[in-house]
Amino acid sequence: MAAVADKSTKERLVSVVDDLEVLSRELIEMLALSRAQKLPQPGEDTQILELLVQRDKEFQELMGVAQQQGKVHQEMQLLEKEVEKRDSDIQQLQKQLKEAEHILATAVYQAKEKLKTIEKARKGSISSEEIIKYAHRISASNAVCAPLNWVPGDPRRPYPTDLEMRSGMLGHMANLPSNGVNGHLPGDALAAGRLPDVLAPHYPWQSSDVSVGMLPPHHGNDFALEPPGHNKENEDDVEAMSTDSSSSSSDSD
Amino acid sequence: METEEQARNRFQSELEFVQCLANPNYLNFLAQRGYLRERPFINYLKYLLYWKEPEYAKFLKYPHCLHMLELLQYEHFRKELVNAQCAKFIDEQQLLHWQHYSRKRTRLQQALAEQQQAPQQPPPHGNAAAK
Repeated sequence: MAAVADKSTKERLVSVVDDLEVLSRELIEMLALSRAQKLPQPGEDTQILELLVQRDKEFQELMGVAQQQGKVHQEMQLLEKEVEKRDSDIQQLQKQLKEAEHILATAVYQAKEKLKTIEKARKGSISSEEIIKYAHRISASNAVCAPLNWVPGDPRRPYPTDLEMRSGMLGHMANLPSNGVNGHLPGDALAAGRLPDVLAPHYPWQSSDVSVGMLPPHHGNDFALEPPGHNKENEDDVEAMSTDSSSSSSDSD
Repeated sequence: METEEQARNRFQSELEFVQCLANPNYLNFLAQRGYLRERPFINYLKYLLYWKEPEYAKFLKYPHCLHMLELLQYEHFRKELVNAQCAKFIDEQQLLHWQHYSRKRTRLQQALAEQQQAPQQPPPHGNAAAK
């Protein structure tokens, strides 16, 4: 088998044909020579003839091998075509699968988005009764809607005024020197010509009765640090603000 | 760890403080004294955002404070508040918005009243015709 490997059939055929050519030439030369003179070597012509016959046999064998190889080659070509066909089938399938995957991925993504919004909506759902109650509360106290008889000069505001701030828990924590009696400020309130209706030092916006069960979120962080620090509540900032003796009373009258 | 009493007091004071933020003059006051530049204070303002949750927001009487709180998260806003004109502008706009709301409401009520009057007119005519 090694001999078959190193010379292709074509080469061998060619070399055999060459040999035949050489031998036949020699034979003819010899014959031509023997006409002119006596046979120089008696055994040589038989030798050449034998070699010729041998080479011819080889030649025939090689032709047979070549034919077989041709057949095999044809089969190979057929099989290659089959393989190509199967290949293109697989590629087609691959394309379709990719498309399907893309469509499914889009569908899944959209479904997930939808679920997210559903969850968000569900989380934010509040009973309409509560909303209406709240709306009543903030409207009744004129916190979001100005009183109908409001004129410039009226001390009421959509935010807690100086007076209200000082009367609250924060104001009392600061132990402010009283600038008037019972938290009345001689400046803003009286200048308007009318005192605020609710003079009680406890305003509904401080809602201590409503919020009996309510607690603020636990914040174990020290506010001075960026990442969550150890469990130390920082009361300093709350007190610092309250210890200021006078807030700016730049009124907007 | 804080006791429940302390926690309740903290709730009360945080409730009051967050509503004070609705007062632009108070914000100007805080800005001028440099509180709005301190990192602990800024972190505290971020912490106060919990008042936006419905279970806490229902205790707020002055909802303007939530908008102010959101704006206070931005450094640019905190820087601007040092100017008294800025605070004055905010105050004016707040008052105008406040009044605009009541005007809008009265208009709505008027429209509603007019609507209710119109359908009531045909029936008396119908009764008269039936007689």
